[in-house]
Amino acid sequence: MNTKIKNIVVCVSMAILLFGLSALCFFMPKDDFLDAERREPAAFPEFTFESVMKDGVEYGNSFMSKFEDYAVDSFPFRDSFRTLKALFANYVILQKDNNNIYISDGYASKLEYPLKDSMIAHAGNRFNYIYKTYLEGKTDNVYLSIIPDKNYFLAEENGYPVLDYNKLVNDLKSDTDFAEYIDIFGLLEIEDYYKTDTHWKQENIKDVAAHLLASMGAQTGTEYKENTLDNPFYGVYYGQAALPLAPDTIKYLTSDALNNCKVTVSHPLTGKPMESTVYNMDKAYGKDPYEMFLSGAISIATIENPDAETDKELIIFRDSFGSSIAPLLLEGYSKVTLLDIRYVQSNLLSMMAPVYGIDFENADVLFLYSTLVLNSANILN
Amino acid sequence: MLFSSITYLFYFFAAFMILYFAVPFKLKNAVLLIFSLIFYAWGGVKYALLMVAAIFIGYTFGLLIEKFREKKRISLAFMWLAVTSILAFMLYFKYTNFFIDNFNKLTGSSIDFLQITLPVGISFYTFQTISYVIDVYRGVPAQKNLIDLAAYVSMFPQLIAGPIVRYVDVAAELKERTHSIDKVAEGIRRFVIGFGKKILIADRLSQLGDILRNTDEKSVLLYWVYGISVALYIYFDFSGYSDMAIGLGKMFGFKFLENFNYPYISKSATEFWRRWHMSLGSWFRDYVYIPLGGNRVSKLRHVFNIFVVWFLTGFWHGAAWNFIIWGLFFGVLLLIEKFFTLKYLEKSKVLCHVYTLLAAVLSFVVFNATDMKEAFVYIGGMFGVGDIPLATTEILYHLQSYAVIFLIAIVGATPIVKSTAIKLSTSEKTGKIVNIIEPIFIISVFLVAVSYLVDGSFSPFLYFRF
Repeated sequence: MNTKIKNIVVCVSMAILLFGLSALCFFMPKDDFLDAERREPAAFPEFTFESVMKDGVEYGNSFMSKFEDYAVDSFPFRDSFRTLKALFANYVILQKDNNNIYISDGYASKLEYPLKDSMIAHAGNRFNYIYKTYLEGKTDNVYLSIIPDKNYFLAEENGYPVLDYNKLVNDLKSDTDFAEYIDIFGLLEIEDYYKTDTHWKQENIKDVAAHLLASMGAQTGTEYKENTLDNPFYGVYYGQAALPLAPDTIKYLTSDALNNCKVTVSHPLTGKPMESTVYNMDKAYGKDPYEMFLSGAISIATIENPDAETDKELIIFRDSFGSSIAPLLLEGYSKVTLLDIRYVQSNLLSMMAPVYGIDFENADVLFLYSTLVLNSANILN
Repeated sequence: MLFSSITYLFYFFAAFMILYFAVPFKLKNAVLLIFSLIFYAWGGVKYALLMVAAIFIGYTFGLLIEKFREKKRISLAFMWLAVTSILAFMLYFKYTNFFIDNFNKLTGSSIDFLQITLPVGISFYTFQTISYVIDVYRGVPAQKNLIDLAAYVSMFPQLIAGPIVRYVDVAAELKERTHSIDKVAEGIRRFVIGFGKKILIADRLSQLGDILRNTDEKSVLLYWVYGISVALYIYFDFSGYSDMAIGLGKMFGFKFLENFNYPYISKSATEFWRRWHMSLGSWFRDYVYIPLGGNRVSKLRHVFNIFVVWFLTGFWHGAAWNFIIWGLFFGVLLLIEKFFTLKYLEKSKVLCHVYTLLAAVLSFVVFNATDMKEAFVYIGGMFGVGDIPLATTEILYHLQSYAVIFLIAIVGATPIVKSTAIKLSTSEKTGKIVNIIEPIFIISVFLVAVSYLVDGSFSPFLYFRF
């Protein structure tokens, strides 16, 4: 190929790329939802005189600024371009993470480093508030358990910076001396987590549930039936990693008690109670199948066990990890209540308690949080 | 609007290319002007009006200066009137709050800051317009066609981050220029190289710099990695933009002068500034240093002239003391080299490079600092000041993660890649292979850089704030 032909090839190929992608920007149908990123794309902005004239500190609300967001979000083959970038970052320039996500031993994980002392202190502060406000003098059965994230198993041995987990646990333990600590770190291993998601697998944490129940003096020993969801599970890290990872499979456990129990969850917008099920099959086929466990991100959920041989109740202050383990704790209680203070102000719990029949008197209370949430605890209200 | 944005590439530029090459030559400057105004107004419509005002001032006074060319005093007065009017824009928008801040600190007053946003690229188009009126005063024919002059001042390829294109360098091309496949291909190559430098190297190093700034785990090694990454980031960001501007100019038939010539291979600070931001250096030389008398004056006056130029060079980059000190730092280095060390530096083979790179890294730490306090902390940290460890797990991780980027950046900051590519492409044995690989390489770099845009967040060019 001589220089003349080479120049023609450069011009023609670039013209095809530029004008081809440009035409697709205008004419290709736009997605209503970015599945991989689990969010809606930026909409085409309103074109008005006011929106065009915004500048200075108001520029972020201008037509031009919003159009930039729209152009990026609606770019043709967006997911393929994100994958190209991830492949380049991982395999060409050998970056150890892409958007803070790394893959080790087939598991995708997000860098969680360093330990943020202020966050742990905030979590301790919130738990203390809850104890002083709702629990002190009503129950002595207060427990704390911390769920390690995937980095605990992957980071150090694969050369990634690692949280000081010992310090995290010790700091929180000393901040919550009203609670008895239940250690579950030793019961977990990386295989207990989804490869593409942050969470643990329900079918692998029966031993964790049994240990928690035993530590709280509750009954254990239920046999569960394992069910497999016939919908591939692309976890939250799948979208963030943008790499061609194989999907996970969600398995969920059922038992007579779980089949017969009554579940009430708070409405995500109004906060009013509504009937639900332990496994929400609409959500199982939705954008985030992990939300099938107790309907996902909700502030309050209760599971009532009609087969219970005890009238003891368990109240769990929890994050999303709690959704999948809570059903396995039901066997030891007549009622399990889950409170997520990321979505409800802890000072409003007294108002919500009568609505959901929450009674702290003599209840077992478990603070069950993952290290991920604890290290970003400013989301706890 | 940013060159490194989806909006620019696939909406603005695609539309511009179609229209520009569809219209006859006599309309090309008008198309260029209209698109340049849209390009600029995209960052704020009101600021585009400011630029239009600067254009009108330049145009009107250019004609007046020419009309009264024979009456020296009148044309001189018009020239000064034009220069001060245009400079007034820049002084007001860029420096008012700096002066208020320093006045408050000096006098204990509490004058409120003005709600002013710095219009992007004001320093560049201001200097271009000033150079135009001064050149007309010095004898260059004034541009009678308003569209042509406006197209020159507002030309989007170099409007907001340079290089500072002199009117005399493009005057002939504004009137008559040729377009060809070869020029377009050359322009595409240059644009994509700049695009890759910006997105794949500069932005990655900037990302690393942000991580290192924000971490609590500081160490001596971290401060050094930060300093080196900042020095490389600023070079790749700015030279990448210049490459894109020069490439775009080539596509449209213009030949802009080079702005960088591998500054990090310099053997002295003096040489560094002959290779770094050359359009700014030559602007200050021709419009400040030489009119002040240059070196054809007493030694003391010469020293004064040098300090004026370097003070202004620093101040031009930003309304903050760290920029002024950055400029003066080079002024001092150049003076020391001029009168004492240059002859020794030129003899050494290694020491001169170590010295120049060290000076550059330290200077860019000051340049990139939010204030002088931060600059002292960072430079102190590089030399172990404070209770900090030599290294931490975190910095070792980042160093490992960015090792390839660093390697590419360091090699790319030297002429090795360019000279190897020329050698291979001109060799009989490898020339044909290079011709096949080159288009694939260009398309690949473009696609990967676009993939970073699609995945990434908004990342403005560093030099937009100047």
